Amino acid sequence: VFLHGFDADEDLVRSLASMSTNERIKAIQKLPETMRKKREIRNKVLKELTKKARDRGAQPSCCTQCLQGAAVSFRRFGYTLSEYFHLLRVWHKALKVISAEFGTSVLSYFVFLKWLLNFNIFSFLINFSFITIPQFLAAEPNNLSFTGLELFTGAGYFQQTVLYYGFYTNATISKIENGPSYNMQLAYIFTVGVYFVICFLILLFSMAKSFSSNFLNLQIVSVNASKLLCTWDFNITNEKAVKVKQKNLSRQIKEDLTEVNQEVLNFSVKERVLRLAVHLLAWVFSLGTAAAACTGVYFLSINNLELFMKGHRNDLEGQAAMLVLPVIASLLNTLIPFFFSWLGHLEKFQTPGQHIYVTITRNIILKMSIVGILCYYWLNIVAASESQCWETLVGQDIYRLILVDFIFCLLGSFFGEFLRRIIGTTVCVSLGLPEFDIGRNVLDLIYAQTLTWIGILFSPLLPGIQMIAFFIVFFVKKVSLMKNCQPPRKVWRTAQMMTSFMFLLFCPSFLGVLSVIGVTVWRLKPSEECGPFRGLSSMYAAVSEWVQILESYTSSKWVAWIYHNLITSELFFFILSSIVLIITYLYWQIIEGRKTMTKLLHKQIKN
Amino acid sequence: MGNKQTIFTQEQLDAYQDCTFFTRKEIMRLFHKYRDLAPQLVPLDYTGRPAVTLPYQLIGSMPELKDNPFRQRIAEVFSEHGDGNMTLDDFLDMFSVLSEMAPRDLKAYYAFKIYDFNNDDYICKSDLEKTVNKLTRNELTPEEVSLVCEKVIFEADVDNDGKLSLADFQHMIVRAPDFL
Repeated sequence: VFLHGFDADEDLVRSLASMSTNERIKAIQKLPETMRKKREIRNKVLKELTKKARDRGAQPSCCTQCLQGAAVSFRRFGYTLSEYFHLLRVWHKALKVISAEFGTSVLSYFVFLKWLLNFNIFSFLINFSFITIPQFLAAEPNNLSFTGLELFTGAGYFQQTVLYYGFYTNATISKIENGPSYNMQLAYIFTVGVYFVICFLILLFSMAKSFSSNFLNLQIVSVNASKLLCTWDFNITNEKAVKVKQKNLSRQIKEDLTEVNQEVLNFSVKERVLRLAVHLLAWVFSLGTAAAACTGVYFLSINNLELFMKGHRNDLEGQAAMLVLPVIASLLNTLIPFFFSWLGHLEKFQTPGQHIYVTITRNIILKMSIVGILCYYWLNIVAASESQCWETLVGQDIYRLILVDFIFCLLGSFFGEFLRRIIGTTVCVSLGLPEFDIGRNVLDLIYAQTLTWIGILFSPLLPGIQMIAFFIVFFVKKVSLMKNCQPPRKVWRTAQMMTSFMFLLFCPSFLGVLSVIGVTVWRLKPSEECGPFRGLSSMYAAVSEWVQILESYTSSKWVAWIYHNLITSELFFFILSSIVLIITYLYWQIIEGRKTMTKLLHKQIKN
Repeated sequence: MGNKQTIFTQEQLDAYQDCTFFTRKEIMRLFHKYRDLAPQLVPLDYTGRPAVTLPYQLIGSMPELKDNPFRQRIAEVFSEHGDGNMTLDDFLDMFSVLSEMAPRDLKAYYAFKIYDFNNDDYICKSDLEKTVNKLTRNELTPEEVSLVCEKVIFEADVDNDGKLSLADFQHMIVRAPDFL
C-alpha cells in the first residue's frame, strides 16, 4: 500500500530540489508515477528552486538570470547533440529487428560480434597511426609484381608492403635534419604492448561487471518463478515468433513438471557405473580426435616448411600448396564439431544444459589445441629455420588461415542454413527450418579473434582485414538468419551466455595469446635481415637498450629508476601479489559475513 | 523553416524530455504514431492541452502491441482511469517504461502491476494462473497450471503470506538477470 499523502510529496519535492540538475532529471524520469503526476512534481520543484534563488539573492541580478538562461539552452543543445550521437550507433536498427524476430539469445551472438569488431577497429587505428604511417615516410620501393593470387596467399607482392613485419625499418625516422625523430623499434613494441594492456583491462572489467550482475546468487533458488515471470521476451513483436515462444514456454513447463517426477528415480550402482563408463569413453574419443587433428596439422605444416625452403615458391603449384594447410585446418575445425555433437547425442546427459556445456568444452579444446600446435610450430620450427625473414612467414601463414576461415564461415552459412532450409522445406519436410546454432558460431568468432591477436605482432594491419571480414560476416549472417532460420526452440539463459562468451574469450583465448606474444618478445631471436628488430638479441632488447640510453641523461633518470626497481624487480611483484592476496581474502570474509546476515534477515521476515 | 514545430510549446517539450527517457525527435515520432491511430480525433495543436483520449481498441491494434499477450493489461496499467483508454501523456509514459532506456527496477514495478490482474497490490494464485494461461495460450491443463503456480509462489514468496508482494517480486527480479 503506498502512502501518497501531502507530506510525502513535500519531502520528495524538497529532496529533488537539493540535487544537481542531471541527478534531478534522472530521478524524475525514474519515478513510478503517471506523466501528469511527474509534471506536477517537476513544476513544484522548479518553483521551489526559483523561490530558493530568490530568497538567497536580494535582487535577481541579470548575471544569474543570464547564467540560468545559458544553462537551459546548454541543456537543450546537449539533447540535440545526443540525438545525433544516436545516429552513430551502428547497426542499432538491425539489432533491434533481430531481437524482435528471434529473441535475445540469438541477439547475443550479434552483440558479441559487434563487441569483437570494436577491438579490431581500435587495434587497426592505433597500428595504422603509430606504425604504418611513419613507415610510409621511410618506405623502400617495391620491386615485385602484383598478380591476383596474392589476395589469397598473402605472399608475392604483399611481402614487400606494410602488411608484414619484415617491411618495417629499424631506423630512427626523421624527415628534417636534426629535427624530431621517430624511433620505429620503440614505436612498434610500445604500440603492440599498450594495445594488449588496454585489451586486458577492457576484458577484465567487462567480465567482472558481467559476473557481478549475472551470478549474483549462485544458488539459483527461484528457477521456476524466474522462468515464468521474467523470460517473457517483451522485445518480440512478430506474431509468428510470439506463437513459437508461447509453444516453447508451455513445452518447457510440461517438461519441467515431468522432470520433477524423474528426479525421484535413483540410479542403481550398476547403471551409474555404466553411465560413467560411457561418459569416459566419449571423452577419450573426443580428446583422441583432437590429438589426431593436432598431429595431422603439425606434420602437414612441417611438410609445408620443407617445400617452402626448397624454393618451389613462384609457380602456380607452389602457391596452391601454400593453401593446403589452412584449408585442412578449417575443414578439421568445421567437421569435427559435428562428430562431437553426434557423440553428445549418444551419451545420455541428465539435463540438456549439461549436453550444451560439454559440447562447447570439447569444441574449445579442439580449436585451442589446433591454435596451440600451430603456435608451437611457428615459434619453435619456423623461428629457428634458416629462412630470410621468419616473422613475415608466420604473418603470411596467419593471413592465409584467417582468409580461409572467413571463406569457410561464409560457406558454412550457405550450406548449414540455406541448403538446409531448401532440404527442410522441399525434400524432407519433417526436418523443418534450421535453427541458428549460436554455440558453433560464437566459437568460430573466438577462433578468428585469437588468430588475429596472435597475428598483430607479425602483421600490423591484420586487424583491418579482420575488421572487413567481420563486417561482411555480420551482414551475411543477418540475411541468412532472416531468410532461412526459425527462432530457437530451447530457451537459453541469455545473460549467462554473454558472460560465458566473454569468459571463453578471456581465458583460453586472450591469455594464450599473451603467453605466445610474451615468448616471442622475450625469448626469440628476431631475424637478422628484416624488420624493426633486426640484429638485436630479442625484441625486448630494444626496450632495455633504450632505458640504458635514458640513464645517461639526468632529466630522465627517474624513468630508468622505475624500470630497474619496479618493472624488472622480482621483490616488487612479490610484495604486490601478497597485498592482492590479502585484500582478496578480506573481501571473501566480508562476503561470507554478509551471506550469514542475509540468512538471518530472511528468517526474520518469515516470522 | 528549419526545425520549428508548432505542435508543442518549448516548455511542454522540455517537460516531456525531463519526464520520459525520450529525445525530442522520438517524442515527435511517438506523437505522430499516436495521431495516426485516429487522425480525426487527435488535433495537430497540443499547445492548449486538449483532453483527447483514444479508446483501447485503437491502442491494442498497434503493431507493437497487437501480438503481445498482455496488451490489455499494459493498456489498463498505463491508462488514467484503468480502463485502457489512453491520452497522449499515458501513451508516452507507456513507451518510455517499455523502452530499453528505462532502468530495471522501474520496469519491475510496472511488470508487477501488469501481472496483478485484480489490482490489489499482490500477485495471488488466481493472478498467476491468468498469467500462465496468457503465456502458454491455454495449452496446459488446469492441474498443470495450478502446480506451476504453487511452485512459483513457493519459490518467490519471502514473507510467507501465500501471495507475492512488490517486495517479493523485486527480490526475485534482482536474482534473475534475464528480466527484460
